[in-house]
Amino acid sequence: MANPLDPPFDIPPIITYAVPGFVLLIIIEMIVVRLTKKGRYDFADSATSLSMGFGNRVFGVLFGGLAIAAYYWVYQFRLFDLGWTIPVMVACFFAEDLAYYWFHRIAHERRWFWASHIIHHSSQHYNLTTALRQTWTGTLGLSFIFWLPLVYIGFPPLMVLMFSAISLVYQFWIHTETIGRMGPLEWVMNTPSHHRVHHATNPKYLDANYAGVLIIWDRLFGTFVAEDDKEQIHYGIISQLGTFNPLRVAFHEWIGMFRDVRNAKSFREVLGYTFGPPGWSPDGSRKTSASIKRAWAERQQQQPSAIAAE
Amino acid sequence: MENILADPVVLELIGSAAVILLMVGVAAILGFRIAARLDEDELKRLAAAEGAWVQDFVIAPDKRRALARLTDGKLMIARVMGLDTSIRIVAPGAVRLKLRPGRLELAFADIGYPPLHMRLKDQPAWLAELASGGN
Repeated sequence: MANPLDPPFDIPPIITYAVPGFVLLIIIEMIVVRLTKKGRYDFADSATSLSMGFGNRVFGVLFGGLAIAAYYWVYQFRLFDLGWTIPVMVACFFAEDLAYYWFHRIAHERRWFWASHIIHHSSQHYNLTTALRQTWTGTLGLSFIFWLPLVYIGFPPLMVLMFSAISLVYQFWIHTETIGRMGPLEWVMNTPSHHRVHHATNPKYLDANYAGVLIIWDRLFGTFVAEDDKEQIHYGIISQLGTFNPLRVAFHEWIGMFRDVRNAKSFREVLGYTFGPPGWSPDGSRKTSASIKRAWAERQQQQPSAIAAE
Repeated sequence: MENILADPVVLELIGSAAVILLMVGVAAILGFRIAARLDEDELKRLAAAEGAWVQDFVIAPDKRRALARLTDGKLMIARVMGLDTSIRIVAPGAVRLKLRPGRLELAFADIGYPPLHMRLKDQPAWLAELASGGN
């Protein structure tokens, strides 16, 4: 008799199967951009993004087992035996997407996790190759801990991994400027429009739209910002990298963080440089998202009064 | 060698590398190799976007790199990144500047930002002053 905790079907290698689709869509998008001038591509930028995707796969082969081992270790202590039933799978889909939201939000708000995630945001372009600009250090940086509560509750590790893979594949197609708004889908789904906001460096768009598949989490937790057609989006990171070198892209924030920690003068500074918001400094001399948004809000308040004075 | 190629993971990685070359090739064929160029107006615009003003500047002959001294004494480094330009504004103390005949080399305290090497047509006095440690 089959164990109800084992999947009742063979789980295909979802990401591997999706790769031909990724390739086809990238080539189609390149042609659309060439013909319509909607969106932008750059040869060197795309080569870097694709190299980062390749490196992500290599690091996945080398270290991915660490995350899987952690899932199975925690699963021993699970609260419930949730089998592979349809209601459990539906619940797992929502739970995985919620876990992704919090992983993603904290990956932007805490430097330790940002050091891995910054890679994905380091392109100044926004197209389907940007989707493949993935971290090399995510597993080593312990990003997988955000999904451990799911297996602790009792969702089978393979089910969690399956929905993580589906989420990753879903998020590929939203990295494009060639698709505008998508009507009612914008209410519940993460769409190209919502995700363009997430990749923007414009102050009004910073730290917004962390969703994986469903945008409902941002609406629920107050991090949703709609795309404003009047505001031209600038993509990338606050301190643009200035390099296409994949090694610098992959490791620059880690090295910067370790250098800051080495020069720290107190344990408080060590904690601040490691787990504070990106850009944290003891004297507040560096820019954080919060300080940039504050300065922007002040400028916005001053502008109307300046206009009125004229 | 045969055994390595029989490994599905190795095959997948080789296939991925080939596909990357294909996509980069398609991007090149479609003409996505146009790079931005820097000039005085662009430097002024980039500085203004950061609330700063350019006092002096040098632009490399290929117009892909530039260094500007801003009115508040800080330095702005600009590099062309494909269609975009990447800039950094730093205090003079956060850079190590070496001036050689016809060449400028800058290294940054922030190791995430790669060193800047640029050719120079001429060496303005402010640059020599900066290299010698003056502001």
